[in-house]
Amino acid sequence: MVTDIIETRGLTRSYGEICALKPLDLLVPEGEWLSVMGHSGSGKSTLLNLLGGLDRPSGGSLQLGGEDLMTLSEDGLARFRREFVGIIFQQHHLVPYLTALENVMMAQYFHSVPDEAEACMALERVGLGKRLKNRPGELSGGEQQRVCIARAIINSPKLLLGDEPTGNLDHQNTGMVMELLKELRSEQQFTIILVTHNREVADWGDRIICLDDGALVREERAGR
Amino acid sequence: MMSALKLMPLLLAWGGIVAALARYFPARRTWLLISCASSFVGGLAGGNLLLTLFKGEIASGAVKSLVGMCFLCLWVVALAAFYRVTGSGGRSIPGERKKPYMSVASGAASLAGLLAGAICVCRLAPQGAGVPLLPLFVLGVAGALLAAVAIGVERFVPADITVTGESLLALIVSLLLFASSFSLQLDLFSPLSMKVMKFIHDFVHQFFESMLMPDHLFFRRDVWEYIGYLFGSSVGFWGALLIWFAPVILICAAIRLERLPSVVHIRQGAQRRKLLAAFIRERRCRLTVPCFAMLILGVAVYNSRFPRVEYWDPKPVAVAMNASGEIVIPKKAEIDLEDGKLHKYLFKQGGREARFMILSTPDGHLTVTLDACAICKPDGYGQAEGAVICYYCKTLIPLETVGKPGGCNPVPVPFKVGADRVSIDAMTILNRWSETVTTTSRIKGGGK
Repeated sequence: MVTDIIETRGLTRSYGEICALKPLDLLVPEGEWLSVMGHSGSGKSTLLNLLGGLDRPSGGSLQLGGEDLMTLSEDGLARFRREFVGIIFQQHHLVPYLTALENVMMAQYFHSVPDEAEACMALERVGLGKRLKNRPGELSGGEQQRVCIARAIINSPKLLLGDEPTGNLDHQNTGMVMELLKELRSEQQFTIILVTHNREVADWGDRIICLDDGALVREERAGR
Repeated sequence: MMSALKLMPLLLAWGGIVAALARYFPARRTWLLISCASSFVGGLAGGNLLLTLFKGEIASGAVKSLVGMCFLCLWVVALAAFYRVTGSGGRSIPGERKKPYMSVASGAASLAGLLAGAICVCRLAPQGAGVPLLPLFVLGVAGALLAAVAIGVERFVPADITVTGESLLALIVSLLLFASSFSLQLDLFSPLSMKVMKFIHDFVHQFFESMLMPDHLFFRRDVWEYIGYLFGSSVGFWGALLIWFAPVILICAAIRLERLPSVVHIRQGAQRRKLLAAFIRERRCRLTVPCFAMLILGVAVYNSRFPRVEYWDPKPVAVAMNASGEIVIPKKAEIDLEDGKLHKYLFKQGGREARFMILSTPDGHLTVTLDACAICKPDGYGQAEGAVICYYCKTLIPLETVGKPGGCNPVPVPFKVGADRVSIDAMTILNRWSETVTTTSRIKGGGK
């Protein structure tokens, strides 16, 4: 039986008088690939930040992997992010003066202890076995995003969040990254939530939800 | 009020001991409290009985020996712990600690309580007499209450700070040494540094003797000046420091060198690393207690080097000899020689000089000695807490033994006591000073 890894009830987030996310009820089964679509300012990133424990909701309930994020302390939330979530950003956010290998090992360091051999294997898995010692500035956008993926999956997260991960990539690199994510999901069985503008990218998921003005307006099965 | 202030650090140390025991024996709190409170009271009573029945020196000597034995035990345990992790087939991860027996918990508590109580009572009665019952009763009640408070407060210490058997012993012994360091009679660091200094001194002499070398004559003076550095108090101090801290350092090293647990059976890399990180963190937390013990030992050394004791050290009074070559000092003039205090004099004659002192011992006999011993540099003596102390090597000389020759005792000088005066032969005292003191100061930095 598949259990729900994410369960939100009336989840809201307001910034002063602006309601960035209106009450949202959402269930995400374990292992699902959910694509979140919407225009700029529709609340996609707000939702992602809440699901990743990067931000706290203004109201409602938020259960992730059986843990109530509303009740967690700052330390508890940090532990949760460390052990439960992997995040891929559009802008990569790699440390520019560290090599690809060191960027991945840094994620290990904050999780537990660094393990160079394991970090090498992760980079080899994303096809960067020969670029271990290169700094982000020496890598292409697609390669940087693959380092980002290796960094996100190195701690075996149960939930992988992607905030426009292919926003900066061309069509060919987008395809490579999405193919890689698909392979990794089938290997490691994690849940993916991907925020995107791009319908083609969203179609890689199992289900698509569309947000508009902070509210869930449409839900559909993905097209691939 | 002053007594309460004097005992404050000792009682805090006692609280620390009880808290450490409570952390190590969490399941035996009630029994621990009973053992700690009763043994502390027992230690007070026992110490007071020793002080009442025997002279102060014997009582404090017994307590000091017991604390010294605890320190030796710490050495043995530290070496064993270090060997366990570095010896063949070193230990990987400490196994699940067995629930300690009630007898072990109460035994450890009793021993620590007895010693802490005895140290407190010795501190309260530095002149060597027994303590009256009322202060003793108040101290007993305070010690028992403090034990209860410490057991309660221990619950608020972060749970991460765990205590192993070795670090528990290190903390208890360091707190006992810390408590002892507040009393000149119980302090162990100064005698230890003196012993190290004397050991090196004797070793060099024995070496020369075994090589059939006439040591003082064989080398030139400047060579001896270099060898003399070995006999200096700083070598004794650093040597003692090494002996003092080594067991705790060994315990820290033993914890630090513990091998990581085997994680090969865990498939997922993140889980493997998480387990290793948890072990490393737990190992780091286990270092907290021995590191704290090291800090306490450091404070004990500071106390020993800079004791908060006001020494009675009068400025030497210049004296001259009469026509018959004698120095005559009246018993009762401006200075009362029989007031039990140290009185110092300086005699100068034709470019030579001698510093000497007159003291009335507790049994009422007057003694005349040089203000120097036959071993150390002639830094002189001060008087405090029923003893005179050699400023150079910090050895305490009980007042009863002043006037007797040997060791670090001030060198006795022949004298005559009349009904109202003390007379000393001037040439004898000058020669005695030359024979002993000039030789000891011949070498830069120290002893003969």
